[in-house]
Amino acid sequence: MDSSTEAEPGGRRRRGRGLAPARSGVSYPRWYWPSFTAPGLLWLAVLFVLPFYVVLSVAFGTVEPLFRTPLPVYQFWWWDFATFAQTAERFYAGDRIYLDPLVRTLIYVLLASLICLVLGYAVAYYTARFAGKRRGLILILLVTPFWISYLMRIYAWQSMLQPDGYINDLVGVFGVAPIEWLAGKPVTVVLGLVYGYIPFMILPLFAFLDRIPQSVLEAGRDLGASPFQTFRQVTLPLSRPGILAGLVIVSLPMFGDYYTNDLLGSESTSMYGNLIDNAVGSAGQGPEAGSLVLILIVIVMIPMLYYLRSTRRATEGAA
Amino acid sequence: MQHPRDRFSRRFTRRDFLRKAGGTAIAVPSLAAILAACGKPGSSAGSGGATGPTGGTGGRILARPDNPVTLPLNRDPIPTDTPIESGTLRVYNWSDYLYKKVVKGFEEQYGVTVEVTTYNNMEEGIQKLVAGQVQADVFFPTTDYISRLVETDLIQPLNHDLVPNLEANYWQSFWDPGPWYDTGWLYTVPYTIYTTGVAYRRDRVTDDEAAAASYELFFDPRFSGAVSYYDSYRDALGMMMLRNGSTDPNTEDPTVIEAAKDAVLQMITDNDARLTINGTYSKLPEGEFSVSQAWSGDIVGAQWYLPKGTGTEVLGYWYPPDQKGLIGNDTITIPTVAESPRLAHEFLNFLLDAEWGYVNFRDWNGYQPPMTSIVPERLIDEGVVPENLPLAVVSEENFTLGYTQGELSAEADALWLGAWSEIQAGG
Repeated sequence: MDSSTEAEPGGRRRRGRGLAPARSGVSYPRWYWPSFTAPGLLWLAVLFVLPFYVVLSVAFGTVEPLFRTPLPVYQFWWWDFATFAQTAERFYAGDRIYLDPLVRTLIYVLLASLICLVLGYAVAYYTARFAGKRRGLILILLVTPFWISYLMRIYAWQSMLQPDGYINDLVGVFGVAPIEWLAGKPVTVVLGLVYGYIPFMILPLFAFLDRIPQSVLEAGRDLGASPFQTFRQVTLPLSRPGILAGLVIVSLPMFGDYYTNDLLGSESTSMYGNLIDNAVGSAGQGPEAGSLVLILIVIVMIPMLYYLRSTRRATEGAA
Repeated sequence: MQHPRDRFSRRFTRRDFLRKAGGTAIAVPSLAAILAACGKPGSSAGSGGATGPTGGTGGRILARPDNPVTLPLNRDPIPTDTPIESGTLRVYNWSDYLYKKVVKGFEEQYGVTVEVTTYNNMEEGIQKLVAGQVQADVFFPTTDYISRLVETDLIQPLNHDLVPNLEANYWQSFWDPGPWYDTGWLYTVPYTIYTTGVAYRRDRVTDDEAAAASYELFFDPRFSGAVSYYDSYRDALGMMMLRNGSTDPNTEDPTVIEAAKDAVLQMITDNDARLTINGTYSKLPEGEFSVSQAWSGDIVGAQWYLPKGTGTEVLGYWYPPDQKGLIGNDTITIPTVAESPRLAHEFLNFLLDAEWGYVNFRDWNGYQPPMTSIVPERLIDEGVVPENLPLAVVSEENFTLGYTQGELSAEADALWLGAWSEIQAGG
C-alpha cells in the first residue's frame, strides 16, 4: 500500500506533507521514513534500471563491424532507432518469423496460466480451508521442488517423456501407442510451463484464501446460500486479488520463457523468448535482440497495467 | 539458469556453437571503457564495415582452401631465447575441451599453475576477448575467426622454433605450407579435426541402407520424430547444400541458401526433426533418436553414453565414400595480451606432444588431433573407436578432399542467419 495516501484514523488522508505520522509524541524529520526505502531503491537501481539502460543501449546501439558483436551505445544522443523501427515494422507487417512465435506465445501463456489457475486454486483452497494440521506439510511439499534446479527437473521430464519413457509406459496400459511427446508438441510445452510456474500461482492464492474470515463464509450459509453459492458469491470475489496476483506472477515470466521450449519442444513450438535468445546468439543481431526485448516489455505492460488498475481500485474500495 | 544451457554433461558444451548459452550475453564493458568512449561506437575510422570486392570484410580476403591466405605480420614473434615465465598460465577455452590430467601434467612439468577460463560458444568467447573482459595467454578459436583476430591485433605470431612438435607429430598439411586459413602457420596450431556426417542406430538402420540413403536418411518417414539435426547454422545449412548438389558450403547465392533452408524446414515439418546439440553423443545412444547429424568426435564420444547392456555395435556413422563431405578443425593461438607468451608456446608444444595429445583425445575429448601416429587401425585396435565406426576416424585424405567452412562476408552471413531465423521460428 502507498504509505503517502494511508488513511488515518478518522478518515483524514495524508498526502505526505509535513512530518510523518507521529507516534507517542515523538516527531521524526521529514527524511526519516522515506529513508527506509533507500536500500530497496538502490537495489532496483542496480539490478533493474542499469540493466534496462544497457538493453536500451544495445537495442539502439550498433554492431562491431568485424566480429559483428553487439556494440552498446551508452550515450543516448547517439542512439539509432532504425533497427527498432524495422523490427517493430516486421511485426506490424505480419512477418511470420516474428508473428508465429508471438501468437504461439500468447496462446501457450493463456492456456498455461488458466490451467495453473484451475489446478492451483483447488490446491490452495484445500490447503487454506480443509488441510488442518497437514497445511504446513502441504506448503513445505509445494516449496520442495525448488530445492532441485529447474533444469534438473526438466531433464527428468525429458527422460520420462521419451518414446520408451515412463509416460508412454503409462499411456500404453490403456492401449495408446507410444507418443512422440518431445517432437514439438504444443501440449508438452504448455504442460511444461504449467509444471514450472504453478507453485507461484498456489502460494499467493493460498495467502488470500487463508485470510478470508470463517465468519464471512458462515454468514453466507446463514443467509441461505448453498455451498456453491457461498463459493461463487463470497469466496471467489474475495480471492480475486489473489487470482490476479497469481496470474500476473505466472504469466509475465512465461512470456519471456524460452528454456521450457528449448528442452521440451522444437522449432515448431518456438516462443517469443526463443526469438530473443536466437537473436542474442546470432552475429550482427544484437540490436534486433534488444528491440525484441523492448517490444515484449510493451506487450507485457498490458496485463501489468490491468493488474495495477485492479489492485488500486480494490485498495480504494477497501479504504 | 545460465539456465537450461547450464551444462552438466562434460561433453555437452563442447561444440555448442550457437546461442545455446544464456551466457552468450551482451558483453558489458568496464566503466573505464564506457568513459573512454567519447565518439559514437563503431564509427571510428577503419571500422566502418568497408565493402568492396571482398564484400563487407573490411578489405580482407576471405580465406578458402582454394584461396589460401598468408596473414600479415603485425609484430615479430617472441625471440627464441625468451626465458620461460613462472607463475600462472591463463588458458581460455571451450568448456570441457581439455583434459584436466593433461593440464596437471603441464603444471607438474613446468612448476606453474594453469588457470582455465571457459566459454560456451564461440560468440561468447570472442565477445569477452574483444571487450577485454578475459585476458588470456592461450585461446582456442575456430578457423573462421583467425583473420579477424589478426586484423584486430588480438593474437600474436608464433615462434616456430618453440613449437617443434607440430612438424614432428602432425600431418604435413598443417605445417607445410600450413593450413589455408593461415599459410605458414604464422599464428595458429591445430587442436582437433572432425568430419560431419550422418549417425544412425544400427539396430534400426543397416549400414547398407544408410549408405544407400546418405543424407536422405533425415527425410525417411520411418524415423519421424526420431531425427536430430545440429542447432548450428553453418553445419545445418551446409550439409543440406551438399545434399542439394551444391559443392560450396560457403556460398553467397541466395537461391542455394533458400533451398538448403527449405530442406531443413521440410525435415522439421514433415519428419518432426529436432535441432539439438546433444542429439548425437547423448540422445542417439540413449535411443531417443534413430538418425542424427554428427560431428565425428560426437559419435566417437557416444559410446560413453550407451545405457548399460547396450553394446557399441548399435552405433553407425556414414560419411560420403568419395570424401566430399563437411570437414573442420579448431585451432590454438596466443593472444597479444598474453603475459606469459613463452610459457604459452610451451603449452602449445605440450598439447602437440604425441603422447599428451593422444591422452587428451582418448581419455577425455573424443575429438581427434591430426597426428601422424593416429591412424584408424591403431584407434580400432586400442578400442578408442568401435570397429563399426571406421568412417568416424578422420584421415589426412578427408582434409584434402572435404569441404570446409570459412568466414562469410557480412552480407552473406546475414543471408545465412536470416534463413536460420526462419527455421528457428518454425517456418
